[in-house]
Amino acid sequence: MTSEMADRSVQPESTPRHEDRFIASEELARLAMRTAGSHLQLAHDDRPYQWSTTAYCDTYDWAIFRAAEAGQALRLRFREYHRTRPDEAFTSARVWLELKEDTVDMSRKERFEIAGDVVPAFLRGETDLTDVSTALGQKAAELVHAGARPVVVTQYNRLAYAAPEDRIRITADHNLIYLAVPWTTNDDDAIPVRIGPILARETDVVIEMKWLGELPAWAEELHGYLRQRAPADRPSKFVVAMRHLLGEAQS
Amino acid sequence: MTIVRTETNVVVVEDDPASADVLQRRLQANGMNVSVGRTGGDGLALIRELHPDLVLLDVGLPDTDGYDVCLQVKSDSVTADIPVIFLSARGDVFDKVRGLSCGASDYLTKPFHPAELLARVDAVLSQSRRVRGPRLAKAAETTRAGRPTAIVALADPARREHGERVLGPRFEIIPVGAEGRAVDLLVVDADTNVASETGNEGPAILRIAAAGAPVTTETVALNDDLAPIADLAVRERQLGRDVDAAADALIALAMAFESHDRSTAGHSERVANRAVAIARSLGLDPALCQTIRVGALLRDIGNTKLPLGLVRSPSELTPAERRQIEQHPALGQELLAPFRPLARLLPIVRSHHEHLDGSGYPDGLKAPQIPLEVRIVAVADRFEALRIARPDRPAMSADAAVQILQQSVQRGELDAAVVAALATGVRGHDRGEAAGA
Repeated sequence: MTSEMADRSVQPESTPRHEDRFIASEELARLAMRTAGSHLQLAHDDRPYQWSTTAYCDTYDWAIFRAAEAGQALRLRFREYHRTRPDEAFTSARVWLELKEDTVDMSRKERFEIAGDVVPAFLRGETDLTDVSTALGQKAAELVHAGARPVVVTQYNRLAYAAPEDRIRITADHNLIYLAVPWTTNDDDAIPVRIGPILARETDVVIEMKWLGELPAWAEELHGYLRQRAPADRPSKFVVAMRHLLGEAQS
Repeated sequence: MTIVRTETNVVVVEDDPASADVLQRRLQANGMNVSVGRTGGDGLALIRELHPDLVLLDVGLPDTDGYDVCLQVKSDSVTADIPVIFLSARGDVFDKVRGLSCGASDYLTKPFHPAELLARVDAVLSQSRRVRGPRLAKAAETTRAGRPTAIVALADPARREHGERVLGPRFEIIPVGAEGRAVDLLVVDADTNVASETGNEGPAILRIAAAGAPVTTETVALNDDLAPIADLAVRERQLGRDVDAAADALIALAMAFESHDRSTAGHSERVANRAVAIARSLGLDPALCQTIRVGALLRDIGNTKLPLGLVRSPSELTPAERRQIEQHPALGQELLAPFRPLARLLPIVRSHHEHLDGSGYPDGLKAPQIPLEVRIVAVADRFEALRIARPDRPAMSADAAVQILQQSVQRGELDAAVVAALATGVRGHDRGEAAGA
């Protein structure tokens, strides 16, 4: 890894965590977040109503998407935060590079804070994560070698509550938009890249519950309540976005 | 093109007839033109049709919510600059922050005092007009003779007078607001957002640095150097028009060649229009859109160097004939290469049959070697070709053609974002036709 990326902050989650996703009405989401807010603190990295812009990568043969549809994939994504919704990606001086690996019932994630202007170099394979002693970093380098580049973007306002060390994390995403990103080159001047067109919008609220180990009683109750009232078999944002991008979404 | 003054047009999106009526009367009494949409869909249609100065938007709507409507307005490059004020009975801070996060300029909680509404409308309009600047309208055709014409549209009267004095010896100065005169040069303040036409149409525009501000690459100083700089800007614009005229002559030749074949007559024009629509949807700048338009019109000009019988052959081609036909991009590049001002078109002409996975022709380029403008023309060309009946298949519907292209995306041949932009445009057109039916 180059010195440019050396000042990253790494947040590996060595223990796999549980994750469930619900599509809820506005009213149901408010109820859930009020409950979460009375037990958990607002998360520091997702201030209420910041816009999260996440660019997801895939290879030219869509290998990451196909694996994600099968329920097992390492996702490679770049996340930025803005106070107003940007119409370009990679506009920030600092970007979060996230590696998230899902298995059928668990997920693990590693997060690296990198300089925004090293993204093209990273995608050219000139910087890698192989000095990080995790398997995810090495797998990400393999994806980059296979031609992974940004293909879809999600934007949303996230309200997040979390327990210390993210033992429980409950988020509500409003105004969720799926967009394509016309990425054509890994040259340094490829960023910032204009995003669009809009592939689809989510009019309901996406609630995600993530936790390590056992849920406390109040969270168990909330989880059961949500399971009863909101569909829980929702695919990930990446999978939904990719289905729209490739014309495979059920219309 | 001239600067014109317009009345204030407001679109109100409100499902409650009584509330809409009160709003309409109140705004009309204050000299505004008001149009009312009762649903989110109606409101969006009005906004896209009228491009109003302001939108007043209720949050609770029968078909969607106001947040979604606001996001759609702010996501469309054509309507993104229109200010939106939310009017809602939902007064929770959660709602207000969400509304403002969607890009609204203000959020007013019902019930509101009429004076507060009007004060907020005036404040938002005032801010918006400072940013949007003067509106430009097409000038009526006039006979141009003698000196070039200029409008000095600086906000400060003393600076405007200074600019007119400097330019007076070389330009005929047209007063701001005069209509029906062709304008060669428009001088504006640095922070003015002028809605300029694409390509080399419309006047040359010079932006004057604010008093005391340093001159940048985008601005010029208001001093005696302004006159020669203005002269140069107008001459450059004229040179650009001459290059466009040369391209137009080539396009006319290509169209004449195409028009001999009934099956493809008008095809290039449709490809060009489609490609430009995709480019705009992807937010490309007007100059690149113009390159794409001309490149799309000239992309098959190499066919003029192939035997006519081969190009027009209605039957299936032999492998040898196919190899010959596949030379047309390279032949087109050879033909246009001597026209140096058209160099920007050459990648489109040479590479519009390339595939991202390297399976295209003539060079077998792969994704990183294929620029976005080439990918756009390739998709537009394939789409419009599928819409034409061939001896071996009937013409396809727009939806079916999009599905075929999406399959090409899945195989890794075409650019996914470009096909998505095409699909968005086709769906939008279908929705528009359905709404109009």
